[in-house]
Amino acid sequence: MEKRLIKKETLAGIVGELAGKMRVCAPMKAEDQVLFRVLEAGEKPLVDFANTKNAPKNFFFPRTETMMKYTRTGKGMVLAAEETDGGQTLLFGVRPCDARSFTLLDMLFDQEKYRDPYYIDKRAKTTIVALACVHPPYTTCFCTSVGGSPVSSEGVDLLLTDLGEEVLAEFLTPKGEALLSAFGGSPAGEGAEKKKEEIAARAAGEITSRIPAREIKPILDTHFEDPFWNTLHQKCLACGTCTYLCPTCHCFDISDEMKRNDGIRIRNWDSCMFPMFTKETSGHNPRPSQKERWRQRVMHKFRYYVDNFNAIACVGCGRCVMACPVNLDIRKVVADIAKL
Amino acid sequence: MQNPYIPIPVEVIKIVTEVDTKDIKTFRFGFQKKEDEEAFRYLPGQFAELSIFGKGESPIGIASSPTQPGYIEFTVQKAGVVTSTLHELEEGAVMGVRGPLGNSWPIDYLAGKNIVIVGGGFAFTTLRSLINYMIDEKNRSRFGKITVIYGARNPGLLIYKDELAAWAKRDDLSLNVTVDKGDADWKGREGFVPTVCREVAPSSENAVTVICGPPIMIRFTLPVFFELGFSKENIITSLEMRMKCGIGKCGRCNVGEKYVCKDGPVFSLAELDKLTKEY
Repeated sequence: MEKRLIKKETLAGIVGELAGKMRVCAPMKAEDQVLFRVLEAGEKPLVDFANTKNAPKNFFFPRTETMMKYTRTGKGMVLAAEETDGGQTLLFGVRPCDARSFTLLDMLFDQEKYRDPYYIDKRAKTTIVALACVHPPYTTCFCTSVGGSPVSSEGVDLLLTDLGEEVLAEFLTPKGEALLSAFGGSPAGEGAEKKKEEIAARAAGEITSRIPAREIKPILDTHFEDPFWNTLHQKCLACGTCTYLCPTCHCFDISDEMKRNDGIRIRNWDSCMFPMFTKETSGHNPRPSQKERWRQRVMHKFRYYVDNFNAIACVGCGRCVMACPVNLDIRKVVADIAKL
Repeated sequence: MQNPYIPIPVEVIKIVTEVDTKDIKTFRFGFQKKEDEEAFRYLPGQFAELSIFGKGESPIGIASSPTQPGYIEFTVQKAGVVTSTLHELEEGAVMGVRGPLGNSWPIDYLAGKNIVIVGGGFAFTTLRSLINYMIDEKNRSRFGKITVIYGARNPGLLIYKDELAAWAKRDDLSLNVTVDKGDADWKGREGFVPTVCREVAPSSENAVTVICGPPIMIRFTLPVFFELGFSKENIITSLEMRMKCGIGKCGRCNVGEKYVCKDGPVFSLAELDKLTKEY
């Protein structure tokens, strides 16, 4: 693996220059938030920021996405076109927790039997450049409890670690190596390596939220029916913000939209927090109240995903903790379950 | 990469109104492309998404048998947006089908055994597929005794009436049709499905029962089969959940860690016992 040292003050300029040659998405200030957006040629991205408000899953699994187009004929509606995505994209400034979420989503969308072409196509055409968390940005960060770390390279093509004056660039995959000439820099020696290890150890130590996420699977296996679920959901407003901001939530709805003789079939993010999610035409709903929906969310992330893919469907980004309007905290939920 | 979300174009080639209330119809679809027909290899118990552009999709069990080449059939109750639109279609209309989806009735497990089919109401569709599959001349010798118990609320609500009449004449199939309440013309059996199961009392010796019907019927029928000595491994049923993608991605039809669309819809009672009770 190629490792280089890049002068820190040149980093944003390198990315800005790349934006003139290809589609580059990067964290940018938007009012008082930081959001990913497409850079104009020469536009410099943020390199010092905490994390983006939204998870970057949107780039492979958009909030709303056209799947196909159709048109009316004398005998009925027929397929007009299958939608496919455009070209290569560079996704710059992904945090290691969010990059890990891509590997978790791959497990679902890229299974052997049913492959999701919309997701896979965009994923294959995107290069992930991650910025290691030299200082974990939030007190709500808990990546180390769910298998990640502030310098995790899972799901990353090019990992950048801020060493102070310089940035260590690790070109981890062929997609990452394709950026070698653009990023330039000088070969990194053992000193840089050692410095990164020190930073990684310190950063991991700075994460003070530690939850027993990996210990609760056997408890969940035997506590589907438990009084614990009777009260957990009571203050939940069913707004769905937790699932919309979650980097690993992947549920979607498919619907049709028509205008005169032409129409599209689209998919939109959906949420297990909504009553309609499982409501059947007959009126029967297997998850009739917020109790069952909260249980589903917890079970899906910490039990079912482990059963199906041997991985917890949570990367510890803390977005759901920060954004919940009634302060429901998944860290507390997990800790409480561990005591059952 | 093959796109599993794109429906196969089909043409409605026959519509049969099954019941007096006219809200259950059987639709026969012909494939518009020969290669789609060849690719659509299915087994009884599987389902497909019936896809009407502009309206949406609805997951429906396949009512025809793979032993009937050239077409596929679905028996559909008019209920929501998609099925109501479907009910207004005429022969010659084109639409889409996405599938076959899900697992199937466990044909290899059923082979060599006596089979007891129990159906209630209009949930008889994939059981009809299984019956036609088993009595096909190429397959009949693979299965032992076949007993069918089928009930509806009243005679007008029995589906597949012509086939029921044809099956009644066969000597390699024991057919027991019942209605909750008959009418003036009804000469057949009256009584609820669980009661009739107890009267027919099929032996559990080397036997499997395949049950499909409304939850209330299943709840009262299961104890009868336990009394008859059927083990949970040999009681097989099919689940229904709200579905969208049909391929285990959209996340709504799971029961525990299993997706009904991809890992089901067919489960044995022994398998269901291991899952969460959320359906």
